[in-house]
Amino acid sequence: MLIIDDLTVRYRTAGGEIEALSSVSLQARRGSTLALVGESGSGKSTIALAAMGLLPAEASVPSGRILFDGADILTMGAEARRQLRGSRIGLVFQDPFSVLNPSLRIGDQVGEGLVHHRGFTPEAAFERAIALLDEVGIVNPEAVAKAYPHELSGGMRQRALIAGALASEPELLILDEPTTALDVTIEAQILDLLEDLRARRGLTMLFISHNLGVVRRIADEVAVLYAGQIVEQGATEDVLQRPAHPYSKGLLAAIPRIGRKTARLAAIPGRLPDLRQPPTGCRFAPRCPFATSAETLRETPWPVQADADVVKSPSPATQAATAEPVVAVEHLTKSFVLGRGTLRFEGWRPVRDATRIRPVDDISLTIAPGEVVGLVGESGSGKTTLGRTILRLVEADSGVIRIGGETVSGKPQSALKVMRRTAQIVFQNPDSSLNPRKTIRELLGRPIARFSLAPAGEIPRRVDELLDLVRLPVHYADRYPHQMSGGEKQRVGIARALATQPRFIVCDEPVSALDVSVQAAIVNLLADLKDRLGVAYLFISHDISVVAHLADRVAVMHHGKIVEVGQADAIMSAPSHPYTIRLLSAVPRVDGPPHVQPKAGRAAAVPA
Amino acid sequence: MAAYITRRLALVVLVLVAVSMLVFGVTTLLPANVAYLILGAFATPEQVRALELKLGLTDPVWQQYLRWAGGFVTGDLGVSTLMNRPVGPMLLEALQRSLMLTGLSFVLIAVIGVGLGIVAALRHGRPLDHGVSVATYLGIAVPEFFWAIVVIIVFAAWLGWLPASGYEPLSAGVWEWAKHLIAPTMTLVFGHLAHVSRLTRSSMIEVMQSPYITAARAKGLPERVIVLRHALRNALLPTITVLALDFGRLMGGIVVIETVFAYPGLGRLVVFSIQNRDLPTLQAAILVVAAIYALANLLADLLYARLNPKIRFGRHVA
Repeated sequence: MLIIDDLTVRYRTAGGEIEALSSVSLQARRGSTLALVGESGSGKSTIALAAMGLLPAEASVPSGRILFDGADILTMGAEARRQLRGSRIGLVFQDPFSVLNPSLRIGDQVGEGLVHHRGFTPEAAFERAIALLDEVGIVNPEAVAKAYPHELSGGMRQRALIAGALASEPELLILDEPTTALDVTIEAQILDLLEDLRARRGLTMLFISHNLGVVRRIADEVAVLYAGQIVEQGATEDVLQRPAHPYSKGLLAAIPRIGRKTARLAAIPGRLPDLRQPPTGCRFAPRCPFATSAETLRETPWPVQADADVVKSPSPATQAATAEPVVAVEHLTKSFVLGRGTLRFEGWRPVRDATRIRPVDDISLTIAPGEVVGLVGESGSGKTTLGRTILRLVEADSGVIRIGGETVSGKPQSALKVMRRTAQIVFQNPDSSLNPRKTIRELLGRPIARFSLAPAGEIPRRVDELLDLVRLPVHYADRYPHQMSGGEKQRVGIARALATQPRFIVCDEPVSALDVSVQAAIVNLLADLKDRLGVAYLFISHDISVVAHLADRVAVMHHGKIVEVGQADAIMSAPSHPYTIRLLSAVPRVDGPPHVQPKAGRAAAVPA
Repeated sequence: MAAYITRRLALVVLVLVAVSMLVFGVTTLLPANVAYLILGAFATPEQVRALELKLGLTDPVWQQYLRWAGGFVTGDLGVSTLMNRPVGPMLLEALQRSLMLTGLSFVLIAVIGVGLGIVAALRHGRPLDHGVSVATYLGIAVPEFFWAIVVIIVFAAWLGWLPASGYEPLSAGVWEWAKHLIAPTMTLVFGHLAHVSRLTRSSMIEVMQSPYITAARAKGLPERVIVLRHALRNALLPTITVLALDFGRLMGGIVVIETVFAYPGLGRLVVFSIQNRDLPTLQAAILVVAAIYALANLLADLLYARLNPKIRFGRHVA
């Protein structure tokens, strides 16, 4: 169906030419699903764009062929390519929030391919769009077809995108990280939908993802991409259970697994090679722990680097019994007004029935010194609002907040200096939470100076210590955020939180934006810092496996309420609340029995 | 939506009240005695005193303001001290001519400006884009009266195609009427293209790089559909706001253009009444300009709301 043969793609950039893909060969058989995995920058999306004939103008293709049904996409005319796109090849993009045109109705966007490829009238296409929306499982498709993108949730938008890609009944569907921006429960629904569509329509799918659990659920075959090269390719179960290439091994080892709590995650050190001068030989060699030895790779496990000087502090459980909790909130409530409602009169009094949402609804929670409380839930469940409300970055409507023994609720912001020192936050996105015009030294020195934690002359030394603490080389102090990778920036974010020597840190999805291999390193770092400094975390994440790995206790949040809280192991192995069970069962895993769709008649079709 | 429009209309009224106070305040502070202006230099103090009493100039300022503003509301704009004619009809006539000129210019600015912006965006970084930039910048960088003179020299003096100045009503024949409009319109349009074309260009470039355009390409839509249906709708949003501001600038621009081309519109009336200290005419004219400005902005906001579904009200599906 789709054959990519010896494809090389280069991008011209200001800093020189980058080789994004080097001699990549792939093959997706009719009716099968081929998954492409790899970390960001590995060239996954370039393959998707190339297969659609959508490479940007800066790209050049010095060699290779992309054969779709025997015809070479690279050499055919622009008009022929356009005829193919959206007609015989459909593409579903990563981010459902930005790929829908904000000023066109959903139904028009879903159906417009039909107008141009199949000669439908706009009205007929709109009717067909409603049927398609129905097919991808949207309730009330007529209303959704008439809605604009901003009126829909992420999951509905992703379904609408899939409906649009399916409109002209393509034979090949390319999905570029279709579930990355979605919650696990929605992700599970979308994956079920794709499985189902494939079976019903005999689709061929090229599925691009960095999530190995997702890949395991959906793909027949997997190709692992590293620095523009395919390092391993084979049947899904083979590659995931018995990886041959060190990189695949590292990727798999870096994933935290529910029910198998280890002390540390295996991280892959280093970063992608500079693709301006691709190294000769194995591109993974500089990061490979097996590079010099001749061990038989299949049997040797990926080594877990134990960072030396880890001093175990007394376990939080014993501490919690004696010490006062570092954070205690009681009956915390925060609501937002969504719409003011229509004006009406009760007698003479004008009244509005405002629509309110309550992302934090009567929540009580304590965190002991040095304890990690994981907070999980889907987006919109109120996790982030809770974290910010505790730190009084968002003002609560009611409730009591005590941090480090000080009652901080009810005090004016100007009187919170002590609390601002004791409690800190690490944000999800280091790109937007680090000032791009300041060097790392300025970023880290500012809080030290602000709280007079060191005399002015001492600050550079403190900054060096902080960098050391988060395991960044000291010379990074003079860099700007854009000169660092995502993982390094997040280390700076953590160092900044640590600068005030806090006792409590809210970690708001600190690893969600990072690749698996980097994520493992940051999670290890957070665990070490807790052990060494005795800091307590409220660790917010939608990724239950990460939370399960790091947290002592887990709180599950749903619609603004904590529905279940308890010891991490207990919740993971025996969840009691139905929502927790649903959340846990939705997580795609790389181990355990392969996923079998609960639908009758489908089970037999799942290949081994 | 209805509530939104009502609220915005109330704001317009508020702006006009504020402007009217300002206009009245400034013009009464001017060192000019209306009674003297009417009676001429040789009036006796007794005559001046009597006229002042008759016109109510000795009343407290707020009473004068209320009388003046009240007259406005009831349609009595006062009497021109210079022409000895009611200001209302005079103003209306000038306003009609000016709106012809600015309306025509505005439509051309919008159409040509957006068109040039799109073309420049689609060819950005290429010679055509640079050509458009240079030409439109030239238009905005050099003052309008300069271009007005250039137009007169080229089209009236050298080529002799167009009259150098003046105005003919439609009753004198369509061509006669149009001939007098072309030169001032041309000058106004050239001087105002840059705003619209530059803004359309930059937002068009930005929109063309957005993921939903790539998505539209992935659907295999023809380029024409991608540009006009998917990109332009979103790229025009900032342009609309600027167009409204430009309409205000046009109303200011006609002061110069009408003077140079001796075009008997609102702009010339303003200049004329300033030169001759014709306070009632000046006050009324300025208030009219302010009203047009406010309404143009209101219209732009409504159009913006129409094109941008995100600020339409009261609809929730999911």
